[in-house]
Amino acid sequence: MKSFLLKVWSRYVRLTARWPSIGSIAPFIPVIAAWWIVTELQIFPRVFLPGPVEVVRSFGSLVYTGILPEYLQDSMVRLAVGAFWGIALGIPLGILVGLSQRAHAALWPPLLFFQAIGDIAWLPILVIWFGYGLTTITVIIVYTVIFPVVLNTVLGVRSISINMHRAALSLGASRARLLWEVVLPGALPNIITGLRNGLGYGWRALIATEIIVGTSGIGFLMFDARRAGSVVEILLGMIILGILWYIVDGWILAPIERATGQRWGLVTR
Amino acid sequence: MKDLIIRNLSKTYFDVYAGTQVTAVHDVSLSVPESEFISIVGPSGCGKSTILNMIAGFIPLSSGEILVGGKPVNGPGRDRGVVFQSFALFPWRTVLENVAFGPKMRGIGRVEREKIAHEYLALAKLSEAAGRYPNELSGGMQQRVGVVRALANEPDVLLMDEPFASVDAQTRMTLQEELTRIWEAKRPTVIFITHDVGEAVFLANRVVALSKGKVLEEIVVDLPRPRVWDDLNENERFKALTGRVLQLVRTA
Repeated sequence: MKSFLLKVWSRYVRLTARWPSIGSIAPFIPVIAAWWIVTELQIFPRVFLPGPVEVVRSFGSLVYTGILPEYLQDSMVRLAVGAFWGIALGIPLGILVGLSQRAHAALWPPLLFFQAIGDIAWLPILVIWFGYGLTTITVIIVYTVIFPVVLNTVLGVRSISINMHRAALSLGASRARLLWEVVLPGALPNIITGLRNGLGYGWRALIATEIIVGTSGIGFLMFDARRAGSVVEILLGMIILGILWYIVDGWILAPIERATGQRWGLVTR
Repeated sequence: MKDLIIRNLSKTYFDVYAGTQVTAVHDVSLSVPESEFISIVGPSGCGKSTILNMIAGFIPLSSGEILVGGKPVNGPGRDRGVVFQSFALFPWRTVLENVAFGPKMRGIGRVEREKIAHEYLALAKLSEAAGRYPNELSGGMQQRVGVVRALANEPDVLLMDEPFASVDAQTRMTLQEELTRIWEAKRPTVIFITHDVGEAVFLANRVVALSKGKVLEEIVVDLPRPRVWDDLNENERFKALTGRVLQLVRTA
């Protein structure tokens, strides 16, 4: 028995080495199976806990009617726009605060203060200022993304050894050149960590915001489904959230990390 | 003009914890003609690294002056190449790109600067490692890269701050022999900081013994070149010189 299990395991390891995507899907098979069994046994009423088959069917019909693709696109574009501004503002700000003692003294306390006022805590006042709409959502996302990016960039910039700066300067680099040649690559592993956290928080904040002020998007889909009493669609929304993050992290962030910090030996594998 | 002149150099700073003024370097004068290799040797805390950091322009001097090729030092610059104890290679650049960094900062085009880098890598027998990242190399190899990275920028003066202190003893001897070989090939002006008396004598034309921020004595090393450890280990002159320097720095 034991040797049989070992054989199966070694088979699995070899298989996932050849097709890594199997390794990222296979762990979900038992979860889905358990879910399916629980619903088939009718432990809970079907209306409260539909099975995988119903969710897939609902996915099919929402794709067919075009609602899901549209909502998905809305959510992704909002996150992308928010992430873009969060990065575009966050990295330069982080570098400034990381390099300049004065900027650090002036900006660090307010940064910590405003970081503590969580994204959703801004919603009431933003709704009064900007109403129910895209502006409010974008402000929330930028706000959520920017803090992890800034704080981690500061950490990254400050962790660069002084000898890196000295080496570059004595090899003839100008102060401006230093920024591009030393500060940015040296801080990059931390910047990616900040991005990872920022996008993760941003994604959650987006869904929460859509539930409260949205008129479209995955969060809105779920909240709308609650109104209609459609548990199937709520479950579908939750599953989509998980899958989307898996894709963003596994297909975009993790490969960047492997190609930079890990390759350079600045981040342990 | 690749000489180095130090006149009445002093460095004092305020120790915030002790609450007192500390003199790290006291009235040091030194003249290093072009293509000379000098070692500054002394125990920890004798001010040798402080002197090097002032020559490199990393820290300001309190009084006196430092002239490189007749020009006073004002901040770091490419006329003074530095080799660090911690190597300080750029982890995000390949070995080739690290060595080509100085020429790149001078505005030399990719083809030309990579040619220069390859030439210097060959000098240190590192051609095989050109495409690798520093963290993929051993400590000894990393410091070889550190040395040729500084040399490839053709500095007037090469400043070396205990460069071999963090590699193992066997590798250190190899690196010392290689450094003398490279020095003979390129004849740069070198200031070499070390606490290792044997290393100081082995490498240099002249050894400056330093203690408590003051120059004790300068000793001319009249050993023939090329120098290899197998010969010098049994050499009476070498033993006498190291004995003399050791006595100086220990009794001071």
